[in-house]
Amino acid sequence: MEGDKKRTKEDTWKAEELRKHLKALLPDSQNEDQKHREKKLRRERTVHDIDPNRHERRDREKSKERTRERERFKSTERDRDKRREREREKEHQREHRERHKDKVRESCLEEGHSVLKHKDRETDRERDKKHKTYEIKQIDPQNYLKSFEGRDTENHRRREIRHLLEEEKARTEERERRHKAQKVKEDNDLRKKIEKVLAYKGEEGEGVHKLEEHQELDKERERRHRERKEHSVGIEKERLSKEKSHKHYGKEKEEKHKSKRSKEKSSHRDREGPAAEANERVKSRENERKKYDLRNSEYKKGERIQEEMSHQLVRTVKDKGKLIEKEDMDTRQEEIKDTHISNPDTGLEDFSTNYEDDFEDYADDFEDDEDQSGEVGDAEENLREVPFSRTSEIEEIQRAITAENDRIFTPLPKKLKNEKKEPVMERQDSSVRNSFRGIFMDFQMASQRQSSRSMASKQKKRISELLPLIDLDFSVSFSLLDLPPVNEYDMYIRNFGKMNTKQAYVQCNEDNLDRDIQTEEVETLEKWTQHPGESALVSGGPVNSQDTSVNGAPTPKIDSQKLASFLRSACQVIAVLLEEDQVATQPRKLRSRQTSLSISDSCFQLNTNQPFLHGRKIPCLYVSQVQRQTLLSVHGLPEKAGVGLLSRKSLICVWNIWQPSSPQKVLICDSEVICCCFSPSKATLVFAGTADGSLLVWDLREDSRMHPCMMITETEWTFRVPTFSTDGILNSVNHTSPILAVEPVSTSLNSDHSYGLSSLSYQEEMSGPPFQIASMDENGILNMWVVVELQKVDLAGSQTDLGLVPGGKVKLVHSSTMELNNSLFPKDISQRMPQTLNIKFLSSNPNHFIVGTNIGLVGHGTRHDLKVVPRLFRPQESRLRSISITAIDFFPFGKPLFLVGCSDGSIRLHQMTSAYPLMQWNDSTKGQPIVALQWALTRPAVFFTLDASSNIYIWDLLDNDLLPVAKQTVPSEKVVTMTLLGEPEKANGLLGIVLAKESGQIDIQYVKKKWALPQPEESDKLYSVLLQSF
Amino acid sequence: MAEPGPDEAAENTYSLRPSLQQRFKSSTVKECIHAILKEKLANVQYIPEEMPELTKSLSETITNRLKEEGFDRYKMVVQVVIGEQRGEGVSMGARCFWDADTDSCAHDVFVNDSLFCVVAAFGCFYY
Repeated sequence: MEGDKKRTKEDTWKAEELRKHLKALLPDSQNEDQKHREKKLRRERTVHDIDPNRHERRDREKSKERTRERERFKSTERDRDKRREREREKEHQREHRERHKDKVRESCLEEGHSVLKHKDRETDRERDKKHKTYEIKQIDPQNYLKSFEGRDTENHRRREIRHLLEEEKARTEERERRHKAQKVKEDNDLRKKIEKVLAYKGEEGEGVHKLEEHQELDKERERRHRERKEHSVGIEKERLSKEKSHKHYGKEKEEKHKSKRSKEKSSHRDREGPAAEANERVKSRENERKKYDLRNSEYKKGERIQEEMSHQLVRTVKDKGKLIEKEDMDTRQEEIKDTHISNPDTGLEDFSTNYEDDFEDYADDFEDDEDQSGEVGDAEENLREVPFSRTSEIEEIQRAITAENDRIFTPLPKKLKNEKKEPVMERQDSSVRNSFRGIFMDFQMASQRQSSRSMASKQKKRISELLPLIDLDFSVSFSLLDLPPVNEYDMYIRNFGKMNTKQAYVQCNEDNLDRDIQTEEVETLEKWTQHPGESALVSGGPVNSQDTSVNGAPTPKIDSQKLASFLRSACQVIAVLLEEDQVATQPRKLRSRQTSLSISDSCFQLNTNQPFLHGRKIPCLYVSQVQRQTLLSVHGLPEKAGVGLLSRKSLICVWNIWQPSSPQKVLICDSEVICCCFSPSKATLVFAGTADGSLLVWDLREDSRMHPCMMITETEWTFRVPTFSTDGILNSVNHTSPILAVEPVSTSLNSDHSYGLSSLSYQEEMSGPPFQIASMDENGILNMWVVVELQKVDLAGSQTDLGLVPGGKVKLVHSSTMELNNSLFPKDISQRMPQTLNIKFLSSNPNHFIVGTNIGLVGHGTRHDLKVVPRLFRPQESRLRSISITAIDFFPFGKPLFLVGCSDGSIRLHQMTSAYPLMQWNDSTKGQPIVALQWALTRPAVFFTLDASSNIYIWDLLDNDLLPVAKQTVPSEKVVTMTLLGEPEKANGLLGIVLAKESGQIDIQYVKKKWALPQPEESDKLYSVLLQSF
Repeated sequence: MAEPGPDEAAENTYSLRPSLQQRFKSSTVKECIHAILKEKLANVQYIPEEMPELTKSLSETITNRLKEEGFDRYKMVVQVVIGEQRGEGVSMGARCFWDADTDSCAHDVFVNDSLFCVVAAFGCFYY
C-alpha cells in the first residue's frame, strides 16, 4: 500500500508538473476558459432560477453536514484538537470562499453564458477528437458509438451534458474502484467528487497508462487551466492562509508537501467552480435525483449518513492535500467499526485483496447498477417532470449518456491491461467488470448481477445473523485415553498367571498364616485275648511300668521268692494243724470205721465226697517218693455222662493225707488218664499219660488265677489245666497208643558228682536237679522227655511251644525214643509180639529199667541200648505162658531185688543178676490175679499184695517164706487199687495202706505195728533167708 | 428503485444451526465406534507390520459409518490410534477450538491383551 501510495503521489506530482507546464504554455486559453466558465455559470443561474433557494439549501446542508461531522469527530475523539480547530478554520474560510464565489458568480452572470458555450465547444471538439481516436482504436464498439456520433456533433449542449455525464460516469467508475456506494446529494459534493475522481484518474493515467494519458491529459489540462484561471487571484490568498494554517499542525509535513497541498487546494477550489458551471444545466435533473436520493436516504439512513460523513471527511481532507489518504483510511476504519457490514472507502490506495472487500465489490456493483438505472430513470422522470421545454434535450442527453457509458467503459479494459504495476485483484475485478460492460448488453448482466446480488445480500444477512451466534472457544478438552502403567505384579500375573495356576492369596507379614496339624502320638499297648474266655486269664499283655502285674502284687523279687516259699510251706503247716484240730474235735469219726479191718489199727478216709468226684473210678494212685504225705488219685471219666465243664474230663486230685478233708489241688484233662507220677525230687510237677497217647504236665506252683475256677457247693474249686501237653504236637515222635506207664527218671549218677556244685547254685524255685520222664505205650515205644523249666513266663502263650499253656513255665522236650519190642526181646520172643504192660526204673541206677510183658517175662534194658545180662527175667518154669505181669516193685532198701506179680496169682522174687527168680509163690491167692504188690516201706521183709477179689495179703518173709502171714478181705466193696504210705526215715511204725474202692472212696488203713515196725537187722536176716532159699 | 430490495424478500430460507436430528450426537457416534471396534478387533493380536493398514481401514470404516448417520453439513474427522499393550502407561488428550454449540467429539477405547485402540471422531459444522 505504501508503495502504491507513493507511486500514485509521485504520479500526481508528475501530473501537477505537467499541468504547471501546460499552464505556462497556455495562459491565454486558460483565461478564456475561465471567462467562459463564469459566463456559463451566470447563464445557468439565470436559466435555473426556478430553484433559487438551491444554493442556499445546499449551503445549509453543507453546514449541517459539517456540524455533524464535527460532532462525530468529537464523539469519536479520534482527531486531535489542533486538527479540529484547523478544520473549523477551514470551514470558516470555505464559507467565506463560498460567499465570495457566489458574489463573483452573480457579478459575472451575464457574460458567462456565451463564453461558456464557446468553451464548451472547444472542449467538445477536443472530445470528438478523442472519441475518434477511440473509434479508431476500438473496433467493436465503433458501430454502436457511430449512431451517437452524428447527434453528438450536432448539439454542443448535448455534448456538454455528455461531458458531464462522462464525468459522472467516471465518478461512478471511481466509486466502483473505491468500492463505495456513494450517493451524492449535493452538487457541491458531486462536483468535488468529480474533481477528485478526475484528479485521481489523471494521476493514474499519467502515472501508468500512456495510451490513455494523452486523452486524459488533454482533459485534465483543460480542466486545470480553467480552474486555475478562474481562481488564480483568490487562490493566492487562500494559499497563503492555508499555508499558515498548515504550519500550525504540519510541523512534521515536508515543505514539498505543503506546496503540493496548496496546489491541491487550489485545484479543489477550482473544482467547485467549474463543476458548478458544468452542472448548471443538469441541475434540475440533479435536483430530482437529489430528491430521490433523499428518499433513498430514508431507507438507508445510517449508511447514507456515514457515507456522507466519510465523504465530507474526504472532501475536507482534500483541502489538506496528502492527508486525505490517511484521513480516508481513518474514516474507513470508523465506518467499519460503526457498521457491521464493512463498507470501506477503497480509494486509490486501497487495492487490498481483502475478501470482504471483494464481497463488497459485488454489493457495490449492484448499487451502481441501481444508480445507473436510477439515473436512467431520473432522466426519464426529468423528461416527464420538467414541463417546460427540453424534454427532447433530455432524451438526447440520455442517449448521450448511454453512448458515453459505452464509450467510457470500452477503453477501460485496454487501459487496465496495461496496468501492470497495479495490484492484481483490482485489475482483474475492474477488467472483468469493465469488459462485460463494454461488450455486452448491460441489462442482461444487470439481471445476473441482481440475482447474484440478492444471493449475496442473503449471505450477508445470514452472516450477520450467524456471526453473533458463532462463538469459538477452547473450553472443551477431552481426555481420550488414560491407561495407567501396569505394575510388576500385574505383569507377572499376566505372563505367568494363566498357567493352570490360581493365586489364592499372598502371604505377608501382616497376616502371617500358619497352618499345621497337631496330632499326638498314638500310644499303643500290645494286649492279647483269647476266645472262648474259658480260663480265668483271658486277656493280658505286656504291662507298663506303672501297671500292676497280672500275676500278683509287685513285691521285691528276692523277698517274694522267699516269702512265697515260706508261705507255701507255712500255709501247708497251718492247714494241716487246722485239719488236725478239726479231727481232734471230731473224735473217732474216721477211726471208728477203721476197726473193721483186722490188719489195721486205724483207718481214715480221704474226703472224696465232692460233687465233681461222684461216680468216678480211680484207676491209679501214686504217692510221692519224696513227700510221703502227698498222694495223687486219678479219677476216671464218670460212668454216667453229665453236663457241665467237668463231665468229659478226667480229674487228678492231689491230696495231703494230713489234710484229708479236701484235695489240695484238682487237675483236669480232656482224655482219660491211665497213669501218673510226681517229679522225682520235689512234688511240684505232676505227669500223666492218657489213653490217647498224650503226655501231660501240671505245674502245681502255678497261680490258681491262671486256671478256671468253679463254684461248687459254696466252695470255689480251681481246676488246673495242664501246663504242657504233647497232645497234637510232635506227631512224629508222639505216642500213638495209650500210655501205660509214666516214670520219672532221676539222674542219680550225675547227682552224685554235681551234688557239691549244685548246693550253691540250684535254685530253690526249681524242682530240683534236672530229670527225665519216661513214657511207655502199649506198642512198646518208650519215649524219654526232658523236663525244661522256662525262666520267663509268657502270658500270651508261646509261638514255638504250642503245647504250653499261656503263662506256663514247664515244657517237655523230646529226648529219645526206644522200640522196646525190638531191642529188649530176642527174635523168638519178639515174634510172639509181646505187649509191654509196665516199666520200672532201677532207683540205684536209672539207666536200667525192667519192663513187664503179657507173656510172663520181664525184660531188662538200659537207656543207651547197652547189653545187659540177663536180658530177660523168666519165671521158674521155662515154658512161655500168656500171663501178664500186673505189678513190679523194686526192693526199696538197697539190694537189687524186685517182686513181680502176675495175672495168674503167682508172685516172683527176682534179683537183677539172675534170669530166674529167687523165690516163686504160686497159688497164694487161689488163682486170683494180683492187682497190686508193694514192699513195705518200713520193713524190708514185709510186702503187701492185693488180688482182684479185694483180698489183701501180708507177707513176712522172716516169719514165713511160703505163705502170707495174714489175709484180710475188704468187706464192703471191691478195692480197685492199693498203694502204701509210709515214712521209712521215721521209725514211728506208721504204715498206711491206701485203698481205692470201686465207688471212688479212698480209705487209708494203718496196719498194725507188728508189720510196720522194723525189726533189728531185718535186712541181713532177709538176705540170709534168701540165700538159704537159693 | 423505491422497493426495499431483495434483502427482505427471502426470510429464513437458509439454516443457521444444524437441526436436532442432524446434530453430531456423541453418544450414537460412540456406539457406532464401539460396535465397529468390537467387531474388527475382537481377536486381533498386535503385529507391528499390520497395524498401519488396520488403522487406515478402521478409520475409513468408521468414517463411512458416520456418514450414514446423516450428520448434514458436518465435517467428520476420525483419528485411530493403535498401540501395543505392554504395560506402559499411556495418556492421550484432545483440545478443540470450535463452536461448542454445534461441534462435538466422541471417542471410544478398545483394549485387549495385546493392544489398545483409541478412536476419536470430531464433527465440525459447516455454517
